[in-house]
Amino acid sequence: MAFGFTPTRDPRIQLLKNVVLFKDLSMRDLAMVNSLMHEREYLADEVIFDAGEEGQGLFLVLSGRVKIILPASTSEILLELAPGAFFGEVALLDQSLRTAQARALEDSKIVVLFRAEFISLLETHSRIASRVSFQLARVLAARLRQAVINAEQHHKST
Amino acid sequence: MMLQPTVMNRALSSGPVVWVGIIITTCLLLVLFQTALWLVMPLLISIVAYYILSPLVKIGISQGLTRSRAVMIVTILMSVVLALAGFGIAPKCVAVTHNLPALIEDYVRTGNALVANANDSLSKKFPFLFRTVVKPPPESIGTVSGNITAEAPAGSTDDATSREVSDFTNKHSSDIALELAHWIPSLLLVPYITYFFLLDGPRFKRFLVQAIPNAFFEKTLYLFYRVEDQIRRYFQGLLALTALDAACLGVGLWALGLNDPFLLAGIAAVMAWLPYLGSIGGGLLVTLVAAHDFPHNHPWLPYEVVGLFILVRLMDDFIFMPLTVGRSLQMHPLITVLMILLGGAVAGISGLLLVMPVLGVVMVAGQIIGELATDARILARHRHALALRKRRARMDLFTK
Repeated sequence: MAFGFTPTRDPRIQLLKNVVLFKDLSMRDLAMVNSLMHEREYLADEVIFDAGEEGQGLFLVLSGRVKIILPASTSEILLELAPGAFFGEVALLDQSLRTAQARALEDSKIVVLFRAEFISLLETHSRIASRVSFQLARVLAARLRQAVINAEQHHKST
Repeated sequence: MMLQPTVMNRALSSGPVVWVGIIITTCLLLVLFQTALWLVMPLLISIVAYYILSPLVKIGISQGLTRSRAVMIVTILMSVVLALAGFGIAPKCVAVTHNLPALIEDYVRTGNALVANANDSLSKKFPFLFRTVVKPPPESIGTVSGNITAEAPAGSTDDATSREVSDFTNKHSSDIALELAHWIPSLLLVPYITYFFLLDGPRFKRFLVQAIPNAFFEKTLYLFYRVEDQIRRYFQGLLALTALDAACLGVGLWALGLNDPFLLAGIAAVMAWLPYLGSIGGGLLVTLVAAHDFPHNHPWLPYEVVGLFILVRLMDDFIFMPLTVGRSLQMHPLITVLMILLGGAVAGISGLLLVMPVLGVVMVAGQIIGELATDARILARHRHALALRKRRARMDLFTK
């Protein structure tokens, strides 16, 4: 196929199937989403994005591990992400600044879904985009709930 | 508290150095494009067609069609519309090409007569305007003012002009006709190229994006999408603006009783794509046609056409333009005019035609490069990534 792109039987589609955001999608829908994604390879210790940058898209770990670090700290890891995990998802919804730095903990393969392409998906394949959006909303709700619980525990302990 | 490096080193906006680079690159590209104009023109038209037709492809896809099928249907529709328009215009084009020398001669004579009449009327109504004109010596009676002030025999001047025009058109009319015919195969490429732009455009973009280093990736892609969105809006707006201009002008010309009012209006509206100079050219063309078609019955018709043109331009500037093209890709009027003149100087007529789209693309590329090249944090990240790759490449070279 031209430009080294094969839309069908792409091994990436199998990996995407295991991502919670895309769990409601059929293989055909996944092929559609897969065709919108950009694959990048990062070496261990390479910065993926910085805190303070304008977020443009969602990053998804295909292989390797990624650490999320708060800007005030250089050593303390806030989160460690394994294959199947995603980060920077709020950038799909708005243009807010990144609140933390993402850096490859080991050699990693990452796919990126840009907001512009997600919006284009909403226009052309609203059914697929609405399913992804619904899963994204559930993930964000779960994270919000967890943040409230953490805040309450912190309040009680102090 | 630790300073955030990205906040500390915000990118600088594109400055005069970037602008000098943009102008030099535009001129170089215009010279380069002049040598392959047969390919550049269909490519440019195909890019415009791509941005105009891509919403139709999106509609097709959203209705459940595959991309290839939606693109196929849209391309066939475009080809049918172009073929119908071609069949409609072809007989007129053939007739014009056959009588090209006589037509050019006719229109030049009409233009001369129009200018002479205007001068004559002005000198009668406002004689004080012409009192300061220095009476020319007898040998310079060829000028229009000479005709009026020196009351020289007009017939001899007309005959000389007519002979010059006749010689010129006889010499160059076959070249002009051949040049026009030479463009036909090249323009037939447009539907073909547009088809592949529509089909493989997104895939090709992804292919290009692979070449961007990781550090620049997110920002470059963001700027790329922003620019693409602007260009798309610009071309779609330009098409809507052309349709509105052509409709208003066509109705006006029809009301004034001109022949083929909508064809003339369409040509004038398309000519207006070339800022400032195109509008003047379109206005002159239609005025000349009015003066030619009704030389004696309606002496005021050319002036009415000029009035109509000014009215449509005002509507264009104050009503249509804000509704369609808006503020996308707007440049300072002085830069626009200077660049058109510069384009004409470095690459002739092709430079005049291509300078605005080329400048638009180069300007955007220059601003992206300028923004990335002045972002110290992104550059530092890129150097860091390169160092990591270098270290990785030589990691096992020194082990026993």
